Amino acid sequence: MAKGSGIIERSLLEDDQIMEEENLVMDGIDISGRWNTMLKTRVHSQRDLDSWDEVRASAIGESIDNCIQCGMCTAGCTVAQEIPAFNPRQFIYWVRVGRKDDLIKNADVIWRCVGCYICTNHCPKEVNTAEVIESIGQWLRTQVPEKMDPAYRANHEAYRHQLETYGRLSLPRLQAEFLSKLGRQKELFGPDLRQAAVKMLKDGRAIKTLLIGRPRHWNRSRFVLTDSARA
Amino acid sequence: MKTAYFPGCSLKTIDRAYDVSTRVIAEDLGMTLVDVEDYSCCGAGELKGEGIKSHFLPARNLAHLINQGETEVMVSCNVCYHELSRTAYAVQKGGKNLEDIQAMLKDADEPLIKEQPTVRNTLEYLVNVVGLDTIAKHVKVPLTGLRVAPYYGCLYQRPAKMVSSVQIAGEDTEHPHFMHDLMAALGATVVEHRAETTCCGGKNLLSDERISGKLTGRILSTAKTSGADVLALMCPKCAGGLDALQFRAVGMVGDTAKLPVMYYTQLIGIAFGHRPEELHVGDMESGSLDLIRHFLAEPAIR
Repeated sequence: MAKGSGIIERSLLEDDQIMEEENLVMDGIDISGRWNTMLKTRVHSQRDLDSWDEVRASAIGESIDNCIQCGMCTAGCTVAQEIPAFNPRQFIYWVRVGRKDDLIKNADVIWRCVGCYICTNHCPKEVNTAEVIESIGQWLRTQVPEKMDPAYRANHEAYRHQLETYGRLSLPRLQAEFLSKLGRQKELFGPDLRQAAVKMLKDGRAIKTLLIGRPRHWNRSRFVLTDSARA
Repeated sequence: MKTAYFPGCSLKTIDRAYDVSTRVIAEDLGMTLVDVEDYSCCGAGELKGEGIKSHFLPARNLAHLINQGETEVMVSCNVCYHELSRTAYAVQKGGKNLEDIQAMLKDADEPLIKEQPTVRNTLEYLVNVVGLDTIAKHVKVPLTGLRVAPYYGCLYQRPAKMVSSVQIAGEDTEHPHFMHDLMAALGATVVEHRAETTCCGGKNLLSDERISGKLTGRILSTAKTSGADVLALMCPKCAGGLDALQFRAVGMVGDTAKLPVMYYTQLIGIAFGHRPEELHVGDMESGSLDLIRHFLAEPAIR
């Protein structure tokens, strides 16, 4: 059995925090068996509250202060069921106690949110959890962009580039940009996508997609979207 | 009845099936749809991390709506519905966020949001405003014998505070039932299943094939093993994973994920007596056209 496998929320603990003893005698009493797993005490003396300031100041993160750490968000989370290290309650906890090290250590999973809003819907204290997590993810992107999985980064950048440039979303163009950012342009002509592409060429949808156009005087809007002075 | 309508990028292009079927049934029901002019993308759920700027694209569309003299807009695409609802909710709450939204519109030379917009979902609009009795009266080809599994996904009923389906129409945010009711009114056999509101992972459709394949596989196989002939959905992003890329789900969980998928509006169109070609049923990639042709050709099962 894996070390500490009986611990609830095992995914939140590092291996070296768990002490397992074959035979444990405390104060002369043999407590071997069920009671032989202990956690090391952690002392946290350096609080780094930059992330908290940043998140609560953001239009999408301002509800973070309502959190009572009940865990309803995580109980219903779509992603937590697939990736146990994805734990919205704990991300919020780490932000509020200033555990920048733990946030950075787990940055690669925070961007895996699927945006299903079960957490926000479950929250009894009106935390918009899905967007608070998004906000924490955005802060982490400024801290450790290199920790973002290449496919997630390509997705993030392709969407932004397409939306800012054209103001409308052409899905084939988006997919092409996404794949080329990953050096996977060949897949565009692979068997999976070729069939759909030929069908869309024949039935006229490809033309409609090419002619999607831009909104009127888009340059002004584009400026607003890309203006880095606007938080 | 004049109704403002926001189709969005996807429905204007590759998901024309959803747009056309919405328009066809609206016409049958005596609704005159007026498109929001000079639309832009809604943000597609991908700009949330930008903070207040995530409201800009939806706000631009809502400002155009108000400028056209309308305050209520009907939206078929669940992603657009979510984005526009989310911004309408921010407008309603007011305060600094609203001031910032208006400032962005001003900087972009766009009209400001001068009135409170209301965003309605086509499904809840059909059930709540048009009414099931009216819809039932238009049924020419009852879907008798067709086993339909409704699939709502996420953004039609979540988060409850922001969406008209719950706030205006009184939909149940945990167990939505309007699509069930609608399919029953068309004469279909409604197949209840446990994945009606589970997420398809659509946001990570490109970036995480494993998770999105697993989540879509679970939905399709749950519906199929519950006895469904067809999954009825209401979101083009869900359709991406459940229909167009169904082969991924099948690769992940096996043939139990092979199931025809259609927009619920297409099923209404069939029941209203339209041909599958009119409703672009052939655009679906999961064998839906064969299913419907078979259904229409075999009166015995009706």
